[in-house]
Amino acid sequence: MEYSSLDHLLIIILGFFVAFAPRYLPLLFFSKRQIPEWFNDWMKYVPISLFTALVVKGIFISSKYTLVTSGNLALIIGGLVVILIAYWTRSMAMSVIVGLVTVMILTLII
Amino acid sequence: MKQIKTEARWKETFKVAWPLCLSYTPIGLACGILLHAAGFNTLLTGLVSLVIFSGGAQFLIAQMLTVNAPILTIVLMLFFLELRYALLGSSLSKYLQGESRSSIFTFALSLNDENYAVNYLKFATDKHWTPNDARQVEHWSLLFWTVSNIVGSLIGSVLSINLTVVDFALTALFIYMIVMQIKSRLSLLICIFSGALAAVCMIITKSTLGLVASTLIASFTGFLIEELLVKKRPASALLQDIGSRKGGPIIEEIEKKESDIL
Repeated sequence: MEYSSLDHLLIIILGFFVAFAPRYLPLLFFSKRQIPEWFNDWMKYVPISLFTALVVKGIFISSKYTLVTSGNLALIIGGLVVILIAYWTRSMAMSVIVGLVTVMILTLII
Repeated sequence: MKQIKTEARWKETFKVAWPLCLSYTPIGLACGILLHAAGFNTLLTGLVSLVIFSGGAQFLIAQMLTVNAPILTIVLMLFFLELRYALLGSSLSKYLQGESRSSIFTFALSLNDENYAVNYLKFATDKHWTPNDARQVEHWSLLFWTVSNIVGSLIGSVLSINLTVVDFALTALFIYMIVMQIKSRLSLLICIFSGALAAVCMIITKSTLGLVASTLIASFTGFLIEELLVKKRPASALLQDIGSRKGGPIIEEIEKKESDIL
């Protein structure tokens, strides 16, 4: 599937609405009331769940939606390196750059 | 908004906003490069930075475009990702009481995670901090974010970039964000659970809709376990913090300061 610039514009317009509504409506409604506690507690786990799913997609799932069992060793090691660097340095730039260099070198060796 | 800014005020708000603007620049550049690799032209890259103004969301768009996800799936994923802003908005709302509807509207337009952290700290510690000042900080960060995205897009069009490497750049970014988000043992558990579940869901559905399903199930499971533990076993080891290294991004220091003051 190829996307046209019109598709991109559509994504931006629809994206604007789904991005803006959660910023605006609570500000409007909850200036006097408290937001329900359960909703807060649920939403707390959304970024972790979503990002993990995306990482798994990037490393272990092929473009035909099958499990990748071989040929992704460089990505797995690269991913582990990123975890360590992120944990120790807390720096986004360092994590990504070291991770990229690791994967580039490993794909040459393996 | 520009007319209201007096010379003294914009200098004042820039002093508050500049560390944030500085930290946006490399991320914005990266985001612009990745969006360009995903097929976005420079004009649309500028537009998406202006109207969505969310690093996570824009990286997600780039990622989903490279795997050819349907537009509806992309928007659905964006929706779940951006729902977290409901938390930011509702926690700031007490400082915006008495503001007009249009004032709240423009404030919400350029709210995001990082300028929220800065403004929350200023509201909590500086009694002269007004919603107008806060909006100016938002606009400074929006300006730097958009410009660095556009520059990134231009860099991307000059350099030819290997797509598999770009793909891993996104994966690395998401891993970084996960590491920053994991605070309790339970969140680590949910992270592992979500990973396994995502693989199963995607293989079953044969589409990126599996991502939506696994995100919803995993986050709700995390919420249920936490509810149960807080009620039944508040001393559970799962609820304890994982020790993390000190230092790092500016935002962390601000959050740390905030907890010191409050």
